[in-house]
Amino acid sequence: MSARSKEERRFIIVFLAPAFILFTTFVFLPAMRALLYSFQKWDGLGTPEWVGLANFVRLLRDDNIFLVALGHNLLLFGIAGGLTIALSLFFASLLSQKIRGASLFRIVFFFPNVIAMVAVALLWILLYSTTDFGVINALLGRVESAAVVVGLPLPDLDLPFPFLQSKYLIASIIPMIVWSATGFYMVLFLAGMGGIPKSYYEAARLEGATAWQQFWHITFPLLREILVVAVVFMMISLMKYFDPIWVMENEAPNRESHVLATLLYQKVFTEYDMGYASAVAVLLFLIVLGASAFSFAWSRKERIEY
Amino acid sequence: MERARKILIYGFLIGWLFAVALPMGWVLLNSLRSSQEFVQNPFGMPWLIGGIPADGLLEHDEIEEALRLSEVTPLDSIPHKKLAWLAEHFEEIDTDNNGALNAGTEFGDSPSTLDAKMIAIIEKAASRPLARSNAVENYRKAWVESHFSRFFFNSLWVTFWSLLGTLSLASMAAYVLARFEFRGSHVLFLFFVSGMMIPAQLLLTPVFFEFSWFSEVGTQLLQPFGLRFQLYDSHFGLIILYIALSLPFTILVLTGFFKSLPGALREAAILDGCNEYRVFWHVMLPLAKPGLITAGIFNFLGIWNEYIFALVFVNTPELKTLPLGLASVSIQAQYKTDFGLMFAGLVIVVVPTLLVYVLLQRRLTEGITMGALKG
Repeated sequence: MSARSKEERRFIIVFLAPAFILFTTFVFLPAMRALLYSFQKWDGLGTPEWVGLANFVRLLRDDNIFLVALGHNLLLFGIAGGLTIALSLFFASLLSQKIRGASLFRIVFFFPNVIAMVAVALLWILLYSTTDFGVINALLGRVESAAVVVGLPLPDLDLPFPFLQSKYLIASIIPMIVWSATGFYMVLFLAGMGGIPKSYYEAARLEGATAWQQFWHITFPLLREILVVAVVFMMISLMKYFDPIWVMENEAPNRESHVLATLLYQKVFTEYDMGYASAVAVLLFLIVLGASAFSFAWSRKERIEY
Repeated sequence: MERARKILIYGFLIGWLFAVALPMGWVLLNSLRSSQEFVQNPFGMPWLIGGIPADGLLEHDEIEEALRLSEVTPLDSIPHKKLAWLAEHFEEIDTDNNGALNAGTEFGDSPSTLDAKMIAIIEKAASRPLARSNAVENYRKAWVESHFSRFFFNSLWVTFWSLLGTLSLASMAAYVLARFEFRGSHVLFLFFVSGMMIPAQLLLTPVFFEFSWFSEVGTQLLQPFGLRFQLYDSHFGLIILYIALSLPFTILVLTGFFKSLPGALREAAILDGCNEYRVFWHVMLPLAKPGLITAGIFNFLGIWNEYIFALVFVNTPELKTLPLGLASVSIQAQYKTDFGLMFAGLVIVVVPTLLVYVLLQRRLTEGITMGALKG
């Protein structure tokens, strides 16, 4: 590396400084600050008091609402995340074949991803509505009466079903997540599938492999790294999940509907419990960090070269 | 066999196409209908201007005629059939008055008590706003009365400056990080990019207190000039925050982009007598336009739709952005059961993002593809 002229050094500093200062002041230092808060007891007004790991102990003991909320996040990740990835993989493999209008399907499938999460939540509030125009309840009503006509035994749903009540909310959100996220992951997988040479499939077809065998033995292993990226991405977004639950619960979730982010928000802005809230945030960060590090390490180790 | 498979594939694809598109079409149609129509006919088509009245609603002139008749003529002189029809239809409209509800059923029994009731019902029906509204009434209500116009321009303002700030700061930093190697340049790159791992929730509390501290200090410094410096509850604070939060991702994307540009260009330009600033502005930045557009779309969608930071850092109703406005209006509208307003609000929030997406979707998918293949 050659010695730099004074001008060049000044150029580097001038160009880097604004981004560096802004990022450090409003992202990096606050993050460090949050770490500090998590070891303190503080109501936001008085002097913070050092309490060591007490906040973390409280998270796990007290009324264990933290674990309940974490459980909800994991439930969303396991079921909604799993369904989304399966479905988007399915549609991506359909669209990667020769399909007329493939780009139309791709564009429309992606639509829900560009809509604000608040708006998606509101849309589903209206779809789930128990009033007369609630489409989902109306459809269920049709299904129920059709079942009666045919004589199929159906569990009594007691329509209209209150999907948005706290105790059903987490379950009701699952279809919403699948609906809104599938398009994004599908585009991601489509990109990955585009990178797999066509000759592999041709060779497999010559050997008489079925579509399912082709998917399982060619697409799936070669897509593994992108799959890991997708799972990590899903994990991060569902661990941070906030907007829809906040809106659907009218800004007041309870034990039955809390997720980590809503719990954290409530602890800060209604209970002024900075230590507890920061401990939640730090654990959230560690979970996300740990899970992503583990996944990436695993995907590198098991990397398949063809 | 092959044909059956094709049909099955298209079946799945078209099924999901409907699952995605129908709810949105439903929102659009319903945004053109009045709230009373939802109660009357939940799945009817909207009344477009001059359209067909939904079943069971009274025309304005019919109400007027009934009123006129009730004034000039004793009710029993109105043709029996017409009166029965009126009673039946008023019964449907009026739900909050028990006497009115019973009017239809009591009709046959005692015509004399009906008179007074009928007049009351007719007057009541005539005094309420017309059920039939024109197609844009919900939009007018949302845009004017519920201040969506305000929220919309707030969002536009905040998003514009945040985008401009993010793209300029990030492209400057990314250019240096991609093109100049110096001690610590790689660490610095990782430092920026690591910001993508930090969940927003971690920052809420500390930034909240940081904002009030900065505002206090800033106001003291600016006092001699008679100025106030405010980060909390101001668009300026929100914009600064959005820029800081968007930097990691944008720097990552743009660094990759600047690295892919040929280095010989810079040397040639320098030999031609350009200084570094001119090289960046006149040579490199124009070449990086596709990268800037891709990063710009992602940031636009993220900032336009952002909720949690706006929720924490904006308090004054006049400063609210669209997602905040939509959330609060929807909570109010649920209590008042003004569903038409909610549908119209939804459309106002969603349309700009859909428009940007449809116009620039190629860039967006390219961006994801690039990320996926490199990632």
